[in-house]
Amino acid sequence: MILSNGASLAAIAPILAVMITGMIVLLGDSCLKLWRQAKWVSPTISVLGLVVSAALACSLIGTSGQQLAFSGALTADAFSQACNIILAVIAALAVMGSATYLENRGLQHGEYYVLVLFSTSGAMLMAAASELIVLFVAVEILSVALYVLAGYARTERKSEEAALKYFLLGAFAGGFLLYGIALIYGGSSSIVPGQVGTTNLRALGIYLHQMPAPNQMFIAGTALLMVGLAFKAALVPFHMWTPDVYEGAPTSVTAFMAAAAKVGAFAAILRVFNAFIPISEYWLIIVQVLAVATMFGGNILAVVQDNVKRILAYSSIAHAGYLMVGISALTGSGAATDALKAEAHSAAMGGITFYLLAYGIMTMGAFGVLIWISRRGRDVQTLNDLKGLVKTDPVAAYTMLIFMLSLGGIPPTMGFMGKWFLFYATLQAGQLWLAVTLALASIISIYYYLRVVWVMCFTEPDENAVAPGRAVASGGVVVSLIASAAATLLFGVAPGLLHSLMDAASTVLRP
Amino acid sequence: MVPTSYYMILSGILFTIGVLGVLVKRNPIVIFMCIELMLNAANIAFVALGRHFAQVNGQMYVIFALAVAAAEVSVGLGIIVSIFRTRESINVDEMNLMKF
Repeated sequence: MILSNGASLAAIAPILAVMITGMIVLLGDSCLKLWRQAKWVSPTISVLGLVVSAALACSLIGTSGQQLAFSGALTADAFSQACNIILAVIAALAVMGSATYLENRGLQHGEYYVLVLFSTSGAMLMAAASELIVLFVAVEILSVALYVLAGYARTERKSEEAALKYFLLGAFAGGFLLYGIALIYGGSSSIVPGQVGTTNLRALGIYLHQMPAPNQMFIAGTALLMVGLAFKAALVPFHMWTPDVYEGAPTSVTAFMAAAAKVGAFAAILRVFNAFIPISEYWLIIVQVLAVATMFGGNILAVVQDNVKRILAYSSIAHAGYLMVGISALTGSGAATDALKAEAHSAAMGGITFYLLAYGIMTMGAFGVLIWISRRGRDVQTLNDLKGLVKTDPVAAYTMLIFMLSLGGIPPTMGFMGKWFLFYATLQAGQLWLAVTLALASIISIYYYLRVVWVMCFTEPDENAVAPGRAVASGGVVVSLIASAAATLLFGVAPGLLHSLMDAASTVLRP
Repeated sequence: MVPTSYYMILSGILFTIGVLGVLVKRNPIVIFMCIELMLNAANIAFVALGRHFAQVNGQMYVIFALAVAAAEVSVGLGIIVSIFRTRESINVDEMNLMKF
């Protein structure tokens, strides 16, 4: 259904709500002295804006059909609304956690929240983009704000270094993305009637379905596009920047970056590869190789790390690998009949969406615990800092335990259900070996997640550790932790509560 | 009229020079210039293809890409200046506080 301009604006209301909140916070913080002095105003308004955005997305998720907004440049369908909800939840958790962290580090300024809101809106646009150039602009809206956030602690050398590395590699990836789009624009003329080019994913999906014979320019463009997106999603071998950036950036930024950027990148990857399913014989094997390399690369490199932020960085790489397995399952390559293929497709769509939410919540939670134990003025980063945590701070230790078990995929947590849905979709798609690889890779991951737990629970606290200072107010991060821990357990026990979210994702059809 | 393939070859060469420059150079400003070269290679391709297809899309995409590149420059140069203030050097080989 092609929407008029007014209806288009209504359909992307959740994205607009986030953008407008960002502008309000930006103006309020720079123009009103009282606003600036009361440190709680900016985070509160930001959370309110995100709640409004999530509520709007919830009300729009029921609308069926393709919902082509702005002459097909955006697809405001149920899947994009589902991603809006996931991203608004992640951003709200991040804002609450950040308020505590920034206060603690003396970095509390309003523009932080503006940047978080703007980059959230970029990730939301990535999930809705169906014109490739809109996808490029959305990627950059997300990334440019994140470059600034990574270097937010600008007097710290590590933070600056993280910002520079992220910026250079991110911009490099942006170059690949744009050139890939240019080649697709040129190459598509051989399949589009009238010998003209198009970069509209929906149109490309339809034309590729009618004539699955792309020329070499088109294939080269798809490959470059894949490289650009793989950089953003941190897939092995394009993951080199991830650990350094995650370690150097302030912890609250790392949490947001790990969750929101990954959700945005995967929503975009999903849109692109869903349109390219008719030519899956060209890319399926590459996606599968990337998935296996990413799962094993991330998990094996995580084993040798001593810095919790780096462990979580490599774990985020591994999780990107699991999600790539879901992308591979979209094709249903091993399924016998068309009906089975369609079933595998909708199982994979639902699984990926559930996993994105699960991954976002548990990552925000794990970093949230780090922020919470840093509240006494010591920036907790290494495993050494966590020694004997169960004695010094039992609540934090047990909360961390929940998130570690969930990230490792142990029931009854959301992480387990997410892995189960992906595993099931892969079996439906007839890719048994890939499902087995996924299970094997998760077994490796359990080692390093449990290592964190072991350090917390079974070692003595470090005698030389700095005496804890006065704790700063940590209301924000406590709310965020309670919410994410509750969600991790609740949706782990009763994933059926998210049925409507998964169904919404399944409405994205095979071309 | 110059054939479109000439423009595509030119843009391919520029893109390759850009990629090689990013991999070889050590000064972040020069690396960033090489990244700009990659973006502009894509812009040339867009304009040439847009003319070839007699569509206005190609030229419109370039405007988007230029706007994005401008935003990236402002942020990137800000980061580089901030690093130069604390370190008195911007060689990327010295950005080695965090490894493996």
